[in-house]
Amino acid sequence: MKNPYEVLEISENASKEEIKKAYRKLAKKYHPDQYDNNPLRDLAENKMREINEAYDYLMKGNPNQEHYDTGENSYSSENSSGMYQSVENDIYNGNFKNAESKLMNVGTRDAEWNYLMGILNLRRGWYNDAYNNLSTACRLDPNNFKYQSAFNKLSGINRSYRQPYYGDQRKDPDICNICATLYCLDCFCGGGNYGGC
Amino acid sequence: MFGYVTPYKMELKIKDYEKFKAYYCGLCKSIKHNIGDFPRIFLNYDMTFLAILLDSLEEGRQNYIKKRCIIHPVKKKIILKDNPSLKYAAFCSISLVYFKLLDDTKDEKSIKSRILSVYLRRYLNSMPENFKKNFQVIKNKLRNLYKLEKDSGNKSIDFLANPFGELTGFILSSSQDGDIKKKLYFLGYNLGKWIYIIDAFDDLNEDMRREKFNAIDHCFNSKKLSFDEFSKQIEKRIDFILGTCAAQCMNAFKALPIKRNEELLYNILQYGLLDKMDKVFRRGVYKNEKSI
Repeated sequence: MKNPYEVLEISENASKEEIKKAYRKLAKKYHPDQYDNNPLRDLAENKMREINEAYDYLMKGNPNQEHYDTGENSYSSENSSGMYQSVENDIYNGNFKNAESKLMNVGTRDAEWNYLMGILNLRRGWYNDAYNNLSTACRLDPNNFKYQSAFNKLSGINRSYRQPYYGDQRKDPDICNICATLYCLDCFCGGGNYGGC
Repeated sequence: MFGYVTPYKMELKIKDYEKFKAYYCGLCKSIKHNIGDFPRIFLNYDMTFLAILLDSLEEGRQNYIKKRCIIHPVKKKIILKDNPSLKYAAFCSISLVYFKLLDDTKDEKSIKSRILSVYLRRYLNSMPENFKKNFQVIKNKLRNLYKLEKDSGNKSIDFLANPFGELTGFILSSSQDGDIKKKLYFLGYNLGKWIYIIDAFDDLNEDMRREKFNAIDHCFNSKKLSFDEFSKQIEKRIDFILGTCAAQCMNAFKALPIKRNEELLYNILQYGLLDKMDKVFRRGVYKNEKSI
């Protein structure tokens, strides 16, 4: 982990208030949602992850233990898998408020975090946020089947709903359709009995 | 913000067309009978949908009458006789209009809204005891919505549309219990969001021109693009959100124990909503239509 003070561009004896201020400023600047369709998006995402990590590290209240540049990852979310499991249970049981507050307390917003937030948003009807979360999850971990299928499910809701509207209206065959059908019938039946041609 | 939830005429059976009109006239009569003559001018289609949906869960015969009315003095109209669903829709309609007028008075300093709201207030006394709780809930939800809109920090369209979704969910489900209540709430929640967002897109040009608050402009237009550029860029995403909301309305509807009006409601939710989306996005048959 990089030196969190450097990441947040503050001095080593900055107060909590200053840390917060610096974090907000940087988060605004690098938030990936501003880089929709922009090649810089990946860079912004990495930067954002660093910022989040640094901020969490400093706000946890151990700024004097200089773990961060020893090469060890002192701030790792080892407990996160257990937490993610409980969030999943909450979402499953419809306890959205609980799930949300747990997720909001997580510092490192990795692929799994985005996936769970996406599922939560999908379940409570926040589809734009769900779209953003799930596509972020897929981008962070492109080979994950679970993320991909959740994302496909979200797009599928829309597609299958539109089918009757865009399908049925074109049920009345236009003249080209009729000709083509007759032509096919002619070919299959070999006789040319249909349509008299 | 009203009038988006209507049937799609091209796919509508004549009997369902007549039925829709009978509900519409029935709601108008219900407002006259339960509230007063003047508030009838606020009649709208969304509230007709509300009456049709709630009535579809009821059993028993429906009574129709055929008569003339003041607005259509020449031709006799088929009118559905007053029933609890129509009465409920009538009071919801007046409450929503009342708070909308109050908000317009405050925001736009509109004299017309001010006069109308003062005039309408007298009619609120006709509200039955058991509706007063609903009136308070509607008031609180809308107040919450206006507060969120004024706080410039919120940049999530889902977050902004949430109170209106909750409000519509509440209105659709408040008279039911148990499992049906949950399903109606989810239908209403998605429909409310759909209405809020389609209304914002419909008004986008006008709002941007007059520099009024618009949820879509506020949430997505971080680069301050002009209307032409911005609307082109954002259309696909808005279409996605609206389509998903509408799809979820349909899914919730399919799970309801509908006893009548099924085809009419199916038409509205399956075709009507998508047709309105074509209209605001100027697609299909609406492609060359001028902006409203």
